[in-house]
Amino acid sequence: MSDAMREDKRVFLMGEEVAEYNGAYKVSRGMLDEFGPRRIIDTPISEGGFAGLGIGAAMHGLRPIIEFMSWSFSLVAADQILNNAPKMLYMSGGQFGCPIVFRGNNGAGGQLGSTHSWCVESLYSNVPGAKIAIPFDPYDAKGLLRTAILDPNPVFVLESERLLSIKGEVPEESYEIPFAEALIRRSGSDCTIVSFGRPLYFCLEAAEQLAKEGIDCEVIDGRTIRPLDIDTIVKSVRKTNYCVVVDQSWPFASVSSEIAAQVHMRCFDDLDNHVFRVNNDDVPAPYAYNLEQEMLPNARKIVEAVRAVTYNA
Amino acid sequence: MPIEITMPRLSDTMESGTILKWNVSEGDNVSSGDAVADIETDKATMEMQVYDDGTLAKILVNEGESVGVGTVIALLAEEGEDPKDAASAATGNGKKKDETAEGKDESDESAEKDDAEEKDEKQDADEAEGKKESESEQSGETIKTERRTEPKGAEQTSSGRMRISPVAQRLAADNKVDLKSIQGSGPSGRIIKRDVLKAIESGQETAAAVAPSARRDGEKPASPITRVSPVAVSDEGPGPLEARTIELSNMRQTIAKRLVESKTTIPHYQVTVTFDMDPLLELRKTLNEQLAPQRVKLSVNDFLVRACALSMHRHHEFNASWTGDGIKVHGEVNVGIAISMPAERGGGLVVATIRNADQKGLRTISADSKKLAEKARTRGLSIEEMIDSTFTLSNLGMFGVDNFTAIINPPNSAILAVGAALEKPVVRDGQLVVGHEMSGTLSCDHRIIDGAMAAEYLQTLRQFIENPGTLLV
Repeated sequence: MSDAMREDKRVFLMGEEVAEYNGAYKVSRGMLDEFGPRRIIDTPISEGGFAGLGIGAAMHGLRPIIEFMSWSFSLVAADQILNNAPKMLYMSGGQFGCPIVFRGNNGAGGQLGSTHSWCVESLYSNVPGAKIAIPFDPYDAKGLLRTAILDPNPVFVLESERLLSIKGEVPEESYEIPFAEALIRRSGSDCTIVSFGRPLYFCLEAAEQLAKEGIDCEVIDGRTIRPLDIDTIVKSVRKTNYCVVVDQSWPFASVSSEIAAQVHMRCFDDLDNHVFRVNNDDVPAPYAYNLEQEMLPNARKIVEAVRAVTYNA
Repeated sequence: MPIEITMPRLSDTMESGTILKWNVSEGDNVSSGDAVADIETDKATMEMQVYDDGTLAKILVNEGESVGVGTVIALLAEEGEDPKDAASAATGNGKKKDETAEGKDESDESAEKDDAEEKDEKQDADEAEGKKESESEQSGETIKTERRTEPKGAEQTSSGRMRISPVAQRLAADNKVDLKSIQGSGPSGRIIKRDVLKAIESGQETAAAVAPSARRDGEKPASPITRVSPVAVSDEGPGPLEARTIELSNMRQTIAKRLVESKTTIPHYQVTVTFDMDPLLELRKTLNEQLAPQRVKLSVNDFLVRACALSMHRHHEFNASWTGDGIKVHGEVNVGIAISMPAERGGGLVVATIRNADQKGLRTISADSKKLAEKARTRGLSIEEMIDSTFTLSNLGMFGVDNFTAIINPPNSAILAVGAALEKPVVRDGQLVVGHEMSGTLSCDHRIIDGAMAAEYLQTLRQFIENPGTLLV
């Protein structure tokens, strides 16, 4: 963010506790000191207000980055982020774009209860006009965020509270990771596993376990849900003939059901079994630790799905 | 009112029957005496006749389905009656009867179908077609009007469709693998990629797939050295066998039931003798040479049938049955001959009865046994042709078997198992010479026949066989 702000004076960060407190999760540490209160702006607890303010600023030529402490809170700004931002270019007949980035933590943080454990990707990816990027590691977080800031359209960057502590090599210089370019995190020949963000760690864990059983999995990080790099997934499934989609949102009308549908459509003659899906259980997130772990996609569920899809159950 | 055609009771023990084949279609006119369907019972495959004239209005039980005796299987519109009206009465009638049917083989599927009869009519037709295919495979018949050319078969579901994953189907097509030869290992027998790969590895490509393509290339027939062998076998030798479960045919179930009953309830014991076969073989040669213009060719077995039958007259216990509280000596000598069924008819074994074998000459016995064997292997025997045997002869001589023991075919009291007439060094008049000997092992029911009686019977039998002139008149 700081790189982008240094390069482009139109970029500013706005959200709850991003300034004085250095960010609720210290994402914006030191930014207030560097850029000052005009560009690092603390807001009241009023998502509808500051999301709308950001959209207005974007329509007027600025490049706002709006931080939601959690994407769970973005729901109170649903009209702004789903009804205004993605449709602005269309409704203004091309007069106004909306080059805005909404970012924040998505998914179960860990014992935050039903209302604060939202995974919004399935809900939000249903809306045309917005892009959705989900970083897997620090390298992708920086690269995808930069691409998001430069993108002339609204982009939702879904970070994960649980991944903020992940450390990784990040180049000093600026770089962009293009959207719709999935990355094969682990190559394999026996089964394709597709996921985004945090569940990828469970996928990789499952793949290691499955490798010991002789099932060599290919783990694909989709990186962006919209636009979706279905080609990479299709190419992999044509090779493996099996596909499991792991998605941390609920199963009904979800990212996983969309990918499954596209795979069935594109790879019908290459499939040896239908696509299997691993989702959050179709219930509100429980508070209890053990129940929450069981509700989320986890390595065990993924292992079982891969065994089942490859007829090794 | 339409005439109801019900599943007939074709034998005393028959509880249900399977429609193997409908020989008529809905709308066909039938006359009394027409064989409208082939029905498989627990014992045999039989033709089912109708006893009325009319138009077949509705088939209620599809090919391959099994229903209890008395279940309405079709409706016949009488002359002057509109087949459509008759058919419309189908649903209600069929259901009522089905509910009372005792046939345990009746599947849920057929019950469901009745409920949705009309809606599913088209699907039913598809199913019937699928069934027809699978049945034709079993019976080895060729259905000339076959419309489907794509490979179908082995793994058909109860609804007649084959389950196969898309990639498996494509792989099989690309590699010309015969899907019928593959046992699916996926859910519900779905053929999956792994199954096809295994089949490819074990070189199951059918010869049929190889040969025509070679011909299509327009090449001259290859020299014997390079010619593709009829059965393609990979260089590594035959592929691994695949574990599978074979569904029991009615015949196999009957064989299992009756032989377990026999072996577990009848106190068997065996007595073996060796027959000098030279005189009989010589006589047979002479007779066959002289009868060749009349196209009569007697087999060793024909002589044995007669010899066994004639021996009954001196040993009534061998023509008897254990009744629980008595021994029933039969008034007729009916010799059963065990006939193995060809694999394409599902394999198995039937016993055909040569009635009054003691009253028949060799020529008649020979003709009877040829006719029965031929019919058993092609069309199947009727119940009449299989019941009432009083003694059974089992001959594995054609396979070069030395000797073996057989299990008594209830309610017989004995069975004779004979091997081949083998050329052997034998002692004749104190001299070691080359002769032909045949081993015969008699299995007896000790409740009826004691060891000495068995020995005496074999002695009589030996006299007939070793003095075969006595069999002629």
